[in-house]
Amino acid sequence: MMDAGRHPNITLLTYSEVEEISGYVGNFAVRIRQRARSVNADLCTGCGLCQEKCPKKVLDTAFGAGMGQRKAIYTPFSQAIPNIPVIDRENCTFFTRGKCKLCEKTCPTGAIDYEQQDKLLDVAVGAIVVATGFAMWDPTLLPQYSYGLSPNIITGLQFERLSSATGATGGEIVTADGEKPKRVAILHCIGSRDHHAHEYCSRFCCMYSLKHAHQVHDKTGAEVYDFYMDMRAFGKAYEEFYERVQEEGITFVRGRGAEVEVLADGKLRVKGEDADLGRLVAVDVDLVILASAVEPQPDASRVAFLCGLGRTPDGWFAEAHPKLQPVGTATAGVFLAGCCQGPRDVPDTVAHAGAAALEVVRLFNQGEVTISPTVAVVDAAQCVGCGECILTCPYGAIARNADGKAEVNAALCMGCGTCVATCPSGAITALHFTDQEIVAQIDGLLQEFATVQDTHYAIRNT
Amino acid sequence: MKSDEPRIGVYICECGINISATVDVPAVVEMAAALPHVVVSRQYKYMCSEPGQEMIQQDIREHGINRVVVASCTPRMHEPTFRRALAGAGLNPYFFEMANIREHVSWAVRDSEAGTDKAQRLVRAAVARVAHHQPLEARREPVEQAALIVGGGIAGIQAALSIADAGYPVYLVEREPSIGGRMAQLDKTFPTLDCSI
Repeated sequence: MMDAGRHPNITLLTYSEVEEISGYVGNFAVRIRQRARSVNADLCTGCGLCQEKCPKKVLDTAFGAGMGQRKAIYTPFSQAIPNIPVIDRENCTFFTRGKCKLCEKTCPTGAIDYEQQDKLLDVAVGAIVVATGFAMWDPTLLPQYSYGLSPNIITGLQFERLSSATGATGGEIVTADGEKPKRVAILHCIGSRDHHAHEYCSRFCCMYSLKHAHQVHDKTGAEVYDFYMDMRAFGKAYEEFYERVQEEGITFVRGRGAEVEVLADGKLRVKGEDADLGRLVAVDVDLVILASAVEPQPDASRVAFLCGLGRTPDGWFAEAHPKLQPVGTATAGVFLAGCCQGPRDVPDTVAHAGAAALEVVRLFNQGEVTISPTVAVVDAAQCVGCGECILTCPYGAIARNADGKAEVNAALCMGCGTCVATCPSGAITALHFTDQEIVAQIDGLLQEFATVQDTHYAIRNT
Repeated sequence: MKSDEPRIGVYICECGINISATVDVPAVVEMAAALPHVVVSRQYKYMCSEPGQEMIQQDIREHGINRVVVASCTPRMHEPTFRRALAGAGLNPYFFEMANIREHVSWAVRDSEAGTDKAQRLVRAAVARVAHHQPLEARREPVEQAALIVGGGIAGIQAALSIADAGYPVYLVEREPSIGGRMAQLDKTFPTLDCSI
């Protein structure tokens, strides 16, 4: 993380979003919106005084996963890169009520800038890596787990923030009333491998749940009950970690936790079936950790549209080939890295990202790209300049030339043939897919076979 | 070689037994041999193998083949392979047509008779089509040697560092105020329990 912040070849554009991408492999034009931080990055020293003095506290739902508070002017965490705060204008007292400006008064370098505007930045690139990650699935969609009804029913990600030294409790694992839990239940596969939520396996929850079991046991000495369907400890040194956690005295219950009930005294009753014992079980605990599923980002369809990506039926971005091209996509020059293509753990993500980087470097080292010649061409003599093709072209590859006739930009044309079918004058031909070729092909499919008398004799198999 | 006089070579791939277990390959070869402009019609165990490709190149040289049809697997797999083979023998790589008789026939059809009929029709269609092919030239365009990375989590950071270390400029775009993504939220990572930042 630190290296990326300091690398001379990396331009870091945080608090920014890609707004527009046009062009094609080797030659993309990208428009990026840099949102106004309301802090002048050139003047800010990252001293943090503004955050200390800011009187407005906000529930930290992003980095903090809802497990702590931040200020209205904030850096998401202490090791943030860049170490420059932003003002959350929706919650800032000055922006909502017109007065306060405590941060401005506090800042020793005069870096606070309430007038700052978003900036648009246009860059030219030859390749794009999409690494937009995943979102957490919302466990309230399966109400039997009572998520949201007790502060002591949390997700795996929330446990990470609870257990982290930079979290609200300084890393102490405690219940909402500040007590050390005596019994903790961990429930695997909440929303994963479930026809009512996501059918797929979220892949890394088994391992983080084992880690959580270890951390709870290690830090609190609590009894830990781990409800699982199958323990998917598939990676290098993972099975060994599973064995280590078993030896630490965690109680494993083979069977998905079926229900969490909030009792009158606030305790939590976890019910399920122990498939090994062949009977129903229930255990009362102080804290429940739901290993909730991961899912595609809520704006995945917008990103797919922006970058020309397909999606598999489960919603993740589609790779060009499930085995042989795991980082390529339907659009040449656009590659995938990490969980946006499907759930994967950290080692697999790093490997996947490395593969995407190699594809980019390979393209750059070649220095030029081959553009397929199977594109549309316009017969200017027949074109009446109606512009229908311009409207239907999905790639924006057609424009009117100086004579008012349609002209195809061969570099942008993907040879899909939409314009050929659209043109009312029949003025457009798709090279390699001419009417003549297609009609001959259809005739070949439909004809009955020639009789022996009609045939000549070709050279046969040797 | 004049391109307006088609001399077509047809090559039916057995794909081990992937195709030949369902499709009567000799019957397809026979049918193709009788089609107009077909000069050579052959079958082979693996057309994509080196001997398979050499068979095509030898026919181009010895029999003046100027159009090639390979009936085998999906063109997504080996169309580039065979186009390269054509180019290697001095033929325009776009004088080539592929009939998919594996994914579209032998893997999709149980009945051998119906499968053979469909394979024959696909091959006949490809032969009819390839006769009309025109030579095309792929164009080459320079590449802008800079990369855009969308997302500054562990995947984006890793990709950015690798590309940047290779000497190319990278724009790393992150929606949140800091890079780090999900991994920065984690307290230790399995199985080694090391720090995540």
